[in-house]
Amino acid sequence: MRVLIVEDHAPLAAQLRDALAEAGFVTDLAADGEEALFLGETEPYDVVVLDLGLPRLDGLTVLKRWRSAGRAMPVLILTARDAWSEKVAGLNAGADDYLAKPFVMPELVARLQALVRRAHGLVSPEIALGRLVVDTAAQRVLLGGVPVRLTGLEYRLLAYLALHAGQVVSKTELTEHLYAQDFDRDSNTLEVMVGRLRRKLGDGLIETLRGQGYRLATA
Amino acid sequence: MRWPRSLTLRLALAAGFWVAAGLGAAAWFVTDVALRQVEAAFDARLAGLLDAAAAAVAADADGRVVVARAPTGADFERPFSGAYWQVAGPGGAPATSRSLWDQTLPTLPTGATAEVLLRDIPGPRGEPVRLAERDVVLPGAPEPAHLAVALSRAATLEEIGRLRTMLTAVFALLGTGLVLGVVGTVIAGLAPLRRVRRALAEVRDGRRERLAIEAPAEIAPLVAEVDALIAANRTTVQRARAHVGNLAHALKTPIAVLRNALDATSPDVALARSEAAALDRLVHHHLARARTAALAGAAAGASVAPYAIAEEVAAALRRLFAGRGLAITVGGDRAARVRVDPQDLTEMLGNLMENACKMARSRVDVSVASAGGRVAIAIADDGPGLPEAERDAVLARGVRLDERMPGSGLGLGITTDLAALHGGGLEFGERPGGGLVAILRLPQVPGAEPV
Repeated sequence: MRVLIVEDHAPLAAQLRDALAEAGFVTDLAADGEEALFLGETEPYDVVVLDLGLPRLDGLTVLKRWRSAGRAMPVLILTARDAWSEKVAGLNAGADDYLAKPFVMPELVARLQALVRRAHGLVSPEIALGRLVVDTAAQRVLLGGVPVRLTGLEYRLLAYLALHAGQVVSKTELTEHLYAQDFDRDSNTLEVMVGRLRRKLGDGLIETLRGQGYRLATA
Repeated sequence: MRWPRSLTLRLALAAGFWVAAGLGAAAWFVTDVALRQVEAAFDARLAGLLDAAAAAVAADADGRVVVARAPTGADFERPFSGAYWQVAGPGGAPATSRSLWDQTLPTLPTGATAEVLLRDIPGPRGEPVRLAERDVVLPGAPEPAHLAVALSRAATLEEIGRLRTMLTAVFALLGTGLVLGVVGTVIAGLAPLRRVRRALAEVRDGRRERLAIEAPAEIAPLVAEVDALIAANRTTVQRARAHVGNLAHALKTPIAVLRNALDATSPDVALARSEAAALDRLVHHHLARARTAALAGAAAGASVAPYAIAEEVAAALRRLFAGRGLAITVGGDRAARVRVDPQDLTEMLGNLMENACKMARSRVDVSVASAGGRVAIAIADDGPGLPEAERDAVLARGVRLDERMPGSGLGLGITTDLAALHGGGLEFGERPGGGLVAILRLPQVPGAEPV
């Protein structure tokens, strides 16, 4: 899952980046409104953490511009302004959730994961696909009830496929959602990783559609 | 035209305009009357001379007109003196006064007028003269004789000029005096305001505690209001100072503990965390207090329709609880308005409706109703409800509706504070069919009932 963190206070941005990376997100940082607007309009994020008080362009304007440009990714507003009039303004401008500072990191992570699930129409943090269960809250994968040991990148790949189970996911889409913006993208790495996942999970779960991408079987 | 900014200048301009118009009309009238009198006196003298001339002529036995006794007066004897007479009979040259010398008056022909006719003409020397002429029928004469008398107007014209100059001077002097009087009155009248301004500047500079000025009845209320404002300001500042002191004390102690816990050779993470939590609580508490306190002075004046605010909050909550599939409805009186700041009403409804959403199983219904000068906003959820015994405790600040539910627990406290501040209140009831109803009552803005 790729997350855009929009926060101008550098220490908090760093804490958010570390905590979300640990929770299995690929993170991009934007320190001002204009950068955030550009990234949100051009990169495919699965979720956004948006501070409202930003230099150059305030967060609410950024959010409204994203929405009017048709960008529908879930957005969580993270701000010190916790009056209800601000919350209502934020939510009615197109935000999906609102968290007031100070906050605790686990709550932010849980809310972001819930937003991602909700965006895919899922209610439970566990995605069950036959014998395969992907627990997005605990970042755990069970195969027939037995935990499977996966690297961070392998888990992110599998979780993304699981959220789109039954759909064909192109390599480009996968690269975009699994790596940060400045990462050197090489599709060979992806193929190697899919191969490793197949070895760990058994053949038949991840289908390769030549020239199109990959598909995770729904059952 | 734009009015000048100075009040004195404005009044002086207005007064100047009216004084000029009024005195101008009066001067014209007075001058006109005076001139008429002068002219009438002159004409009377001329008529008298004509009568004298008529008495001086007679017809001789042959019926010719002769001057029996020439009209007397030195002026008729001295050449070109400005006083002339002339008598023209039938046939022959007319007889003239000596003053006419070799000239004659340009009279009308005999028989042209039987009445006295007055004309202004140039005299023998080109000077302006007034001519009176008429025909007279002399006893014993077959035809009438034509008499003419002329007097120079130079002296009269000079007199009229003098009169005009004098009247203009008098009226100009009067007008200037009036305008100056108005300006003086205004300056004197505004003097108390200038005193107030000076005193206010002194208050601002700290050289004076308050205005406390003996002012005229029109300005005394202003002085009293300003003094009240100064007093209120001072109280606010004192309260703020005391509050800042308390706040500093309350915040700095946990910060000191936090620092020490982190600076230790083996940082006490548990202590640091609990101190940070304590700081969080304190900041929350003081911000909530500051928010309600800041509103205390500004509470009056605003008015808003709860229906519209409830709809806005409902739209926001539908997004916030999108995953829960809750039905959130708003109904009732759309037009009813309450005397509450819109942000405060949003705060109250936000807290109450969010609580309802957290407790609800499937739906939250908000309804607005007005009765007896109050608007009641009922927020009903189909959750587990709240036993009657616990309701009072819940309304007190810091007690959460449900300890298991997330939230600071301050929301209800702020809501009750705000409701009280705006002259309203909050109470809980039971929803028919199970669940909790929170009823927020606020003073209605009169005259806003639906028609």
